Amino acid sequence: MIRAVLADDEVLARQKLRQLLREEKDVEIVGECASAAETIQLVSATNPELLFLDIRMPDMDGFDVLGALSALRIPAMPQVIFTTAYDQYAVRAFEFHAIDYLLKPFTAERLRGAVQNFRDRRALPPLRTGEPTSPPEVERYAARMVFKSRGRILFLPVEEIRWISAEENYVRICTGSESHLLRETMARLETRLDPEVFLRVHRSSIVNLHYVKEVKSEADGESAVVLISGEKIALSRSYRASIQKLMRT
Amino acid sequence: MLFALQEWMEWHRMGARLGIQAFALVHGLDFFLWGSICWSMWALLRERIRLAGIFAIVAGFLPLSILLSIGQEMLILFLIPQIPFNRPRMPYWSRFNLLIYGDFLNNMVIFWCAFFLFRGIDYYQRYRKHERTAARLETQLANAQLSALRMQLNPHFLFNAMNSISSLMRIDIDAADRMLEQLSCLMRITLERGDAQFIPLRDEMEFIETYLAMQAQRYSGRVEQTLSVDPELYDALVPAMLLQPIVENAFVHGLSKVNANGELSVAVRREGRDMQVCVVNSGTGLKAQNSALSNGHGVGLANIKDRLRLHYGEASTVSIVELDSQRVQVTVRLPLQFSVPA
Repeated sequence: MIRAVLADDEVLARQKLRQLLREEKDVEIVGECASAAETIQLVSATNPELLFLDIRMPDMDGFDVLGALSALRIPAMPQVIFTTAYDQYAVRAFEFHAIDYLLKPFTAERLRGAVQNFRDRRALPPLRTGEPTSPPEVERYAARMVFKSRGRILFLPVEEIRWISAEENYVRICTGSESHLLRETMARLETRLDPEVFLRVHRSSIVNLHYVKEVKSEADGESAVVLISGEKIALSRSYRASIQKLMRT
Repeated sequence: MLFALQEWMEWHRMGARLGIQAFALVHGLDFFLWGSICWSMWALLRERIRLAGIFAIVAGFLPLSILLSIGQEMLILFLIPQIPFNRPRMPYWSRFNLLIYGDFLNNMVIFWCAFFLFRGIDYYQRYRKHERTAARLETQLANAQLSALRMQLNPHFLFNAMNSISSLMRIDIDAADRMLEQLSCLMRITLERGDAQFIPLRDEMEFIETYLAMQAQRYSGRVEQTLSVDPELYDALVPAMLLQPIVENAFVHGLSKVNANGELSVAVRREGRDMQVCVVNSGTGLKAQNSALSNGHGVGLANIKDRLRLHYGEASTVSIVELDSQRVQVTVRLPLQFSVPA
């Protein structure tokens, strides 16, 4: 069972969470609170694994709650899913290793995705929550990316990225179901992604090797990378050797 | 000083032995006195010079000019007793009589030149100021009109969306919930933009993508949507909310009338020094739409036309044509710009 606490100063907001979480059979709500002080008390008393946390509350904000909790040195910090109507705290939440950032109003689907992210994260070795990452990032490569796309905030795990293509001053990040256009450069992205997984195959594309089905030679002597989803991505001669070496291992 | 040099050379030629300093002194003083007179005129009489009619000129400035011309000459003669040079000492009045005839005319010319010059400068300054004010008023008016036109769009589309949610709520709660989330996304994007008149095409497209995602929800599978934008144009500036009314019209007047296999395509590409936006939708063709337009449903399109005219004048065009009996194409062409126009 996932023991969870809901913290939101609005009754209706808590009610919505409670109702939607009923669908998640492995989530048990161990308490609800309407203020920051109550949250600190309840979390230290019940030691939940998961905390749904509103950012703006009457007494303190959500980040203050996390700060206070980590100062209390409770045995295990809960993982946090932020729920808020404001989008400007996303980067800060990301630095606090939050599981997800749900912008109100969110759909049942979006909540389900967030809880699933929690389950996935639980399977991994633990990360310390409640303390922002000190500037030289602990892990060399990004595990997740935070960005805004179509009015939503995404904490996208990099393993969901299938391929990335350059479009002039932007890059398009393609996942299984969606694509997101960000103002970013290929070179900057390439340094943030693990080269064991993400390979530059062309001046304007990077692929996730986990999604590559095969490397194909075209009739005209050019080659292409074919993804399991069927997409074909041009492969430059200069990158050909590196991908073939990786594919063989 | 040049006058002084000239006069000195003339005297020199005639064989007179006189220092250049004397001439410099006379002309310097002359210049200084006229300078002071002109400055005082500018400072004290500018308004009167500007407003002076023929009567004021004859009755006021003519006597003044005579008075000043004589007074200035008298002052010079008083201050520099050596004048006229190379002559035996003479009493003040005979010196005055000797020189006034030549210098009086000179002085009058200087006075009236200054008079008309000031009048000219003043007119010019006023004219420029007036022009600037007019230009500023014009921009303010255009901005006010543009803001009003933009403001019309948000509530228009917001209420339509809310109405959809309200009706969806009775049939499918989950769908209504999703649509509410999408509407919030749209509102977030709109709020973030503020009231900027111009935004990068990329931002406009993001809004359209979100809007289309919401519409796809409503028209569940009945409409095939295609978007294509030349990446080279992502940073080009377009008037905010340019596309939404066109796309909304495509749904309201066309796609809402087909039950299956609806098509909507939005394509943005470069055409020389212009940007061309094409929105094609399937539906019932133009005939049915025309009656709808005349019924006042064409607010969105009329709004776009007005805004484009205010922004670009005649440099932009909006056209609506029937490709065949089922498909209608709206084309907007506007000058390609990558930075905010002044």
